[in-house]
Order: sequence, then C-alpha cells, then structure tokens
Amino acid sequence: MSVLLQQLANGVIQGALIALIALGYTMVYGIIQLINFAHGEVFMVASYGGLATFTLLPDDLKKSPAVALPLMFVGGIVVAVVVAVIMERFAYRPLRGAPRLAPLITALGVSVFLQEAVRVWYPNATSNLPYPKVFPEGNLTLGSVNIAWTGVLLVALSVGLSVILQTYINKSRMGRAMRATAQDPDTAKLMGVNPDRVIVLTFIIGAVLAGVAGVMFGGYLNNINIDMGFQNGIFAFTAAVLGGVGSIRGAVIGAFIIGLIKTLSGQYMPGGTQYDYVWIFVVLILVLVFRPQGLFGEPERVRA
Amino acid sequence: MSTVDSSAKRSALAPLGKPFAIAGGVLAIVAALLPWVTFSLNDGNWPDKSTLQFFDAPFLVTGFRWHLLVLGVLVLIAAFAPIPSRGRVVRALGWGVALVSFVNAAYITVKGGGLGAITALDGATAFGGVVGIVAGVLVILAGYGIGVEPVQDWNVKVSTPVAYLVLLVSFGAVLYAVAAMLTTGGVGTANPYAGAIFLSFLGFAAGLLAALSGVGFVRWLSALSEQHRVFSVIVLAACALLLPFTEAGNEYWMTVAANIGIYAATAIGLNIVVGLAGLLDLGYVAFMGIGALVAANFSGAATAHFGITLPFPVAAVIAAIVAGIFGAVVGSPTLRVRGDYLAIVTLAFGEIFTRSAQNNIGGITNGSNAIPGIPALSLFGAEFNRSISIGAVKLPAGVLYYILIVLLVAATMAVFANLKFSRIGRAWIAIREDEDAARAMGIRTGKMKILAFLIGAMLAGLAGAVFAHKNGTVSYESFKFLESVTLLAAVILGGMGSIPGAVLGAALLFVLPEKLRDFEEYRLMIFGLALILIMRFRPQGLIPDRHRRAELANEDVGGAPVDEVHVGPKEAKA
Repeated sequence: MSVLLQQLANGVIQGALIALIALGYTMVYGIIQLINFAHGEVFMVASYGGLATFTLLPDDLKKSPAVALPLMFVGGIVVAVVVAVIMERFAYRPLRGAPRLAPLITALGVSVFLQEAVRVWYPNATSNLPYPKVFPEGNLTLGSVNIAWTGVLLVALSVGLSVILQTYINKSRMGRAMRATAQDPDTAKLMGVNPDRVIVLTFIIGAVLAGVAGVMFGGYLNNINIDMGFQNGIFAFTAAVLGGVGSIRGAVIGAFIIGLIKTLSGQYMPGGTQYDYVWIFVVLILVLVFRPQGLFGEPERVRA
Repeated sequence: MSTVDSSAKRSALAPLGKPFAIAGGVLAIVAALLPWVTFSLNDGNWPDKSTLQFFDAPFLVTGFRWHLLVLGVLVLIAAFAPIPSRGRVVRALGWGVALVSFVNAAYITVKGGGLGAITALDGATAFGGVVGIVAGVLVILAGYGIGVEPVQDWNVKVSTPVAYLVLLVSFGAVLYAVAAMLTTGGVGTANPYAGAIFLSFLGFAAGLLAALSGVGFVRWLSALSEQHRVFSVIVLAACALLLPFTEAGNEYWMTVAANIGIYAATAIGLNIVVGLAGLLDLGYVAFMGIGALVAANFSGAATAHFGITLPFPVAAVIAAIVAGIFGAVVGSPTLRVRGDYLAIVTLAFGEIFTRSAQNNIGGITNGSNAIPGIPALSLFGAEFNRSISIGAVKLPAGVLYYILIVLLVAATMAVFANLKFSRIGRAWIAIREDEDAARAMGIRTGKMKILAFLIGAMLAGLAGAVFAHKNGTVSYESFKFLESVTLLAAVILGGMGSIPGAVLGAALLFVLPEKLRDFEEYRLMIFGLALILIMRFRPQGLIPDRHRRAELANEDVGGAPVDEVHVGPKEAKA
C-alpha cells in the first residue's frame, strides 16, 4: 500500500512537470496547428540556461538560495523565450501557408539543431551535469510517503501557472484575440487582431512555462542531460493529445494521467521501469486511434 | 546577399549585367592563375601548387584552380553566346566560382591562422582567394542583372542512335563524376586537406550542374531518357557496375559505396510511403532494424536466438515478410488517423521498437550487446568480403557486396518505378493530393495506405537483411530515431517522390560525414540546420518530382513558376 501511495505521489510530480511542457504544445497547436517538435528542446535549453545563470553568479550570491533561485528561473525563462522567438520568426513564420508536412519537418530540424548546439557549445554537456543545490531540501513526510519539497514546489507551480494561464486566456483582451485566431484566423484578422503578435505571444507563453519546467526539472532530479528535451517532449505531447489538443484543462489533466501511467507501469507492469516508456507510447497510439480528439476535445477540435 | 530584394536589385543591375559577367569571368580566370597562400601551412602545402613557394608553373593549373579556370571560361562563353535563360546559367556559374573560392580561402585562413595567409604577409602576396570571391560575387550579380528567367524547354528532336549516344556519354560522365567525388581528397584522413578538396569539388560540381539545368539540358536529358527508358536503365546499371573499375575501386570506397547503397534502397522504400502516398513516417528505420534482426537470427551467428541457419535468400525473404507484417500493423492506424497525428503514431512505433530491442525483448535482439559475428555471404565458394579476380583483373575486397547492393538498389528502383506509374501509384498520389477527393473517385484509401506501408516496410526489411550480413553486427543502436530522421532528410533533400532524388539524397547524407571529418563534431548540427534551410528555400528537393514541384514550389506541372520561386517564399502578410 505504501509503495502504491509513494508511486502515486511520484506520478503526480512527474505529471506536474509534464503539464508545464504540455501547455506549450497544446497552445501552439491550437493556434497554428503545428506540432512544435522543438518545444521539448526549448525546455532542455531553459534548463541549461538556468544552470549557466547560476555558474555566472558571483560566489557570495551562489550561497544564498533566496537570491540565486529566482535568478536561475529568470535566466532559464529568458533563454527559453529568446530561443522560442527566434525559432518562430526564422523557422516557422516563413512556412505559414506551406503544406502541413513542411513545418513539421522544419520542427524536427530545429529540434536536432538545438540539441546538438547545446551538446557542442555548452561546456561538458556530453555527460550529465549536476544541478546546484539551491532548492529547498528535505522531504515532506505524510504517513509512509516521502515527497521532496522540490516536488511539492513543482506541483504548486504547475497548478498555479495553469490556473493563471486559463484565466488569462478566458478573461484578458489578448486571450480573446488568441481564442479568435484559433477559431478562425481570417475573421480574426478582419476584426483587427494581428495574427503575428498572437502567434509570437503564444510561443512566448509556452517558452515561459517550459523555462519554469526546465529549472524545476534540474532541481527535482539533481542533474540534467541533453536527452531530457526529447523524452519529456514526447511525454508532454502525448499528454496534450490525451487531454485533447488545444484544451488547457485537458493538457494538464492528460499530463497527470501520463505521469501516473509512467510511475505505476514502471512499478506494476511486466518489464518494470525499462518499459515504462513503451506503455506511454502504447497509450498514445490507442488514444490517437480511438479518440483522436482526446478526453476533453470535441470531435471538431476546440482550440485554446 | 542575393535574395534580399532582387526585384529592386535587378532594375539597378540590368545595364551592368554583361560587363559584370565579363569582368567576373576574367577575374575568375585570373584567380585560377594567381597564388593562393603566402606560406606553407603547418599541415603541408595547400594542394595544386597554390602555395607561394611551390608556385612554379602558373599556367599548369590542376585541381580547384583548374575548376575555377573552367568556370571562368564558361562565364565568358555564357556572356557572349546566345544561350537560353542566360541569367540563370550565369548566376549558377557565379555560385560555383564563389563556392570554390570561398571554401579554399576560408580553409586557408583558418588553417593558416589569419587573413595574412590569403592576402599579403612578409612582402609576399597571394590574392587568389580574394580575387576569386570577388569574381564569384560579380558573376552572381551579373546573373541577376541579366535577369533570371524560368528554364525553357528544348524542342530538339534527335534520331534514336544520336539519343543513345547522348545518353551513353551523359551517364558515362555521371559515372566519372561519382568516382571523382568519392575519391577526391583521398581515403579517410590520409590527406589533411581532404575536407577542403571535397567541398571545393562539390561547389564546382554544383555550379556546373545548376548551369546545365538552367540552360535546360537536364530537363531535355530526362525527357530523352524517359523516351528510351529500357536503354537508359541498362546503361545506368552498367555504369554502376563499372564503378569498381574506376579509381574508386578499392576496398574502402567499395564499403562506403555499399553502405550508401543500403541506405539508398531504404530511402527509396521510404519514398513510397512519404513521397508517393504522402504519409509521414518517423519510425521507418525500425523496419530496417526488424529485417536486420530477423536475418541475423537466421544467419548462424553464435548469439542467434533460433538454432536454425537458413540460406541468405530464404532469410532475406523472411526478413522482408516479417518487416512487411509489422509495416501493415504500423500502417493500420492510418485508417483513422491523418496527417501529423499519423507521424506521431509512427514515431511512437519506432520508439517502442528501439526500447524493446534495447531491453532484449524475447531474447532475440541481444540488447546492448548486439548480435556480432554474422557470417559473410558466399556464393559458389567466393566469400563476399574477399577480393576476387576475373581473369587478369583483380577486384578489390567487398566488390561482391557492392554488386549485390547495386542489384538491390536496382530492384527497389524497379519496384518503385513500376508502382509509381501503375494504378496503385496513381491512387497513392491521389490520396496524397486530396484524400477525400480520392475516396470520392472510388479509391479504397484505407487499403491503399496500408499497402504503401507494407511495401515500404518490405523494402526496408530486405535492405536490413543485406545490412546485417554486410556489417556483420546488428545492434539496436543503428536503428534509432535519428536514423529515421536522416533517411527522411535524404528523401526530402533529394526530392519527394523522385527516384534519382532518393539516391542522391542518401549519397550526400552518408558520404558527407565520411568526407568532412573536420566537422564531425558539428555534423548533426549542420544536418538540423540543413533540414530547416531546405524546407525554407527548396522544399521540392534537389531533383524534384514534377507533381511534387507543382505542389511545393508554386510551379505548374510544366515547370513554369506560378510565382517567382527564388525570390524566397512568400511571407504571410499581416
């Protein structure tokens, strides 16, 4: 029983991480129907950005987590946003209106490029890099279940940011513009919405969330590597599809389901953790085949 | 530098077109006759006697200086001769001059430790590189000044013997070019400047080929070979089989060529799925892996799971069938899933394969230990990895593998070509263009799509079986996501739906790393960048299929641009 509870807790934390990334996928897909394959790499780059920020800090600041941690978040987010904006401007925007496969292939190229750029240019990026210990340490103990404080922080950030995002999209003027562009870009344009601005903003929001996720990933797992983007990107994409692409609530709930599937299948399914990855893909395929609109999407896709 | 605002530039440049072309052509010739390096570099003299101390016979040019001389003369000819679409030809030659000069100058600058190496140092002057680059830029501008018109069709009718002769000479030239491309710069790391020599040669070849294509020759030739299909196929096959007798005929290049052939065959299979049926498959290399694993397990290798040893042809057929079954299974979601969602399903299947193989599922993949020691093929007692002699001619080791693989590629090409022009192929193309319309026309789309996956997977499985025996080891490492992306890139780079395109794409993507060991670190990065740039500037690929070009580059089927292609893709105007 305690094993089950522990794995449930781990699954929720995994899910919180995946949710932060999945939101970026779901929003971009909702607006321009592009599977932004490179979004996972934005998350990875953000993690390295946070690490680089810490490395560049003066020694006395490194010792005070209260200053270093927020600065790392800022550093990670800035790097993620810059990469995402450049990517949108130079790789995706010229291809608007091209056949659907063209931007998808471009996204693959961006993904490979970013991963390699970090591997080649970031010092020692070929091996796992340790993340600095500026996060709250220790565990929250509830009965027999131990939850790291970083995990608690991750869940809080993830849920909090999703709620803020949902409110922003439903209530603000820009959010209305986003929903309008997602429903009908041409009519939205006639109503005075600038689609370029909406799209860039979508990428920026996705990057900010990925930035938070990147730094928290380092804090929770204590080390990072260049493969983390691809793997978690796939998980997040699966979550977005499971929840119904374009739906924010769906992406978050889908992410928690994926997180739970990962930890529980690693524990209870044959093959153990070596095959947890495979079960997620099986779920992905089953969802795509039998309910491509996802759990919360309507057959005619509703977008963010 | 050339695509920023070409309409404005053209009007300003128009009167300067011819003078620029003449000046650029003359400068290119001058550059070929000038020294290029002021001193001898650490790794040895720059090739082709272009280092100042060794610059004893300026008019005896070889290598890249000879290429430059040829390009310069051609520019002068193009400037005066009444040839069709002159601007396009001149621009192509200009790019050739610029690339050759830039590659050499850049390498010399970096290896020589500064600009002094290509300009003046200690009283010695060597301005070849600078003059060459200036010449290249001038000629490119001249091309825009003359005006880049669309390629024209030639209406030259020739009698059958003349056509045969033209085809024979052209394919012979292709054979020569392939052999030269393989061997330039020497084997492996023997020559410190191999990368520069190769890139420079590539620049020359690209410029020349683009000029030939610009003048309409390539289009005419392909129409001609289409008319005399049987003859062209025979000549092409003969050319491929003659490669071991050229300077590329040693064990090293036979191995490289054989590997290219395996990937080319796989790329043609992928081209059926992606290029014809328009179904993006991101896990395609898994089928090759399945084929390789099946063949390895029936090969009699020590770690093979089944205790049975089957002769290679039987094992290869089983490999193809097993891969085909998996292909049909992977393809079955196409009944319900479309477009980019389908791409994700195939990616998921690919990842499941990699993961399962890594974990030694069912004991048949041997996990990360791989299956080593797969015996080499043999035929009538001749082992495929030994050298053989026919009469007095001794052929290098690996030549039998090369021949086997040429036959494999020829077979896949035949399958592809026959399918493409059959009822099935037309159905695939119809599905690619508009699935709903295709269904309305009575095509059973579901069946057709699964068939595309099945045939593509079978071809990959067959190539995988050859791969297993050729390399002697099968490990899941050879069949990961990145290999799928590389194959996809080969198909896209060459041109989706086009047979020569797939071969060219595979050749480029698998030869370049062999040649550019200097950039080994950056290989994948350049590769990612290349994907982005191709999609942006030439989505139809290097050798586009006619219909594909119409769809991707806003040209009509005859090739006339609906919208000027080279100005750069239309931006979505807000």
